[in-house]
Amino acid sequence: MMLQTKLSKGDFVVLAEMSTPKGVDISDLVTNARHLKSRIEAVVIPDMDNGVMHMSALAGGAIIRQQGLEPMIHIYGRDRNRMALQGDMLAAHVLGIHNLLVVQGENIDLGDHQNAKPVDDLNELDLLAMVNSLLKGTDLAGFELQGKPNFFTGCQVQPIRDDGHLEEEYVSAKAKVEAGAQYIMVPPVFDITYYTKILNKFKSLNVPVIATVFMLKNVGMARYISINSPDSRLSESLISRIRKAKDREAECIRISGEMIKELKNEAQGIKISASGWEDRLPAILDCAGL
Amino acid sequence: MITAEQKPLKEIIEYISPYDRILLVGCNECVTVCAAGGRKEVGLLASALNLNCLKQGRTIDIKEITLERQCDPEYVEELVSEIDRADAILSMACGCGVQTIAERYKEKPVFPAVNTKFMGASVSQGIWAERCQGCGDCLLGITGGICPVARCSKHLLNGPCGGTSNGMCEIDPDVDCAWRLIWERLKALGMEKRYEEIMEAKDWRPAGGGGPRKIVREDLSL
Repeated sequence: MMLQTKLSKGDFVVLAEMSTPKGVDISDLVTNARHLKSRIEAVVIPDMDNGVMHMSALAGGAIIRQQGLEPMIHIYGRDRNRMALQGDMLAAHVLGIHNLLVVQGENIDLGDHQNAKPVDDLNELDLLAMVNSLLKGTDLAGFELQGKPNFFTGCQVQPIRDDGHLEEEYVSAKAKVEAGAQYIMVPPVFDITYYTKILNKFKSLNVPVIATVFMLKNVGMARYISINSPDSRLSESLISRIRKAKDREAECIRISGEMIKELKNEAQGIKISASGWEDRLPAILDCAGL
Repeated sequence: MITAEQKPLKEIIEYISPYDRILLVGCNECVTVCAAGGRKEVGLLASALNLNCLKQGRTIDIKEITLERQCDPEYVEELVSEIDRADAILSMACGCGVQTIAERYKEKPVFPAVNTKFMGASVSQGIWAERCQGCGDCLLGITGGICPVARCSKHLLNGPCGGTSNGMCEIDPDVDCAWRLIWERLKALGMEKRYEEIMEAKDWRPAGGGGPRKIVREDLSL
């Protein structure tokens, strides 16, 4: 529980997101994780990220633990009912996974198994209540557990469209903190000034706020995000900076490193999302001076 | 039809307690047939609410109306002449009716007086049972006219589970095993071969897996 200890002491933490494979070849996951050992506080493992079927985060978390790093896994209600979720949480504890991030699952219609039956038994607040119940040694049916698990649980904020939406998400995050969320993960915004405003708003909830740095890979990706996710506030000048660079990949790494440096003063931690380029994470950390 | 049951009186009273003038709206369709929200039930609920208010030492003005169909904007329009005289609307229709009213009369609070239960059929006097879950891809043609999605407790598509006992389901000795019914029906029709055909994992998109469903009939649209 190094992550929890550091956050409670007010130390700055670095998290790296790593997806499990769509298959059983875990070599990339293991290699990328090893390269970050002792450089980051935790590896965040999404579960069926973007609604795409992958190896479960539970297995991913266990693999990360075997490599000597601290895992954090996503939990959400789309694919599992309360029985499966509780069972997985107990399994997580015994596998050495003690950091949880309660998230909203992507709509099943937007994933790669669109004909699947969504479960949606528990929402985010229900999940936080479920974790609290397990921590107290009781399941959601009121039965006593044989041994209590131990978790450090946070919640996620949705991408912020504007000031009005920021207020809505603040109210939602407040409810999640009151329901037991111990930290808040904020999605990426490329405009540092506006991101600072967002982070400050959530900091007032008096739990650690972790910002997200999303690594751009190329001009096409930057352009796509700029057009399809206006809430990311990705500017034309940033796209232009990548386009004009002699070595665009190196420029993308530099941009991520610079964002981390700037966010270090604004958030208590950062999560780096490299979306498939996890092998570049050490270079990003180098650029950020971490 | 869509079946419904009246909510507990206490819950209804809690909804309408801040208001003095209530428009109590019934529906002549499904909820009339299942005796949950037709003209008769509207009258009974109005009397119960009036009586309760008298006991509390206050009066309440309840206007009773029963529409032909609450899920149809054409009939919901008939409330226009009454709406200004009401502080709130209490609907005895299914959830479709409540929402049609809420969409049309946005300035008035609308409360449900019934719990919408399921799509079912009358099996005997006073008893309705679930027969359809609106999965959007009807299997009745291959299951002998008996729906495993709605009537098997586990929604199994390829025969019964181990919980079937003497033709009944393990969850309740009064619940038929849907697959026993399907097998007997197919056998009676000489269609046993159908039972041996393995159904693939169901596509739940037509059942609403991808979000709220809609039917668009361009040939009927204005």
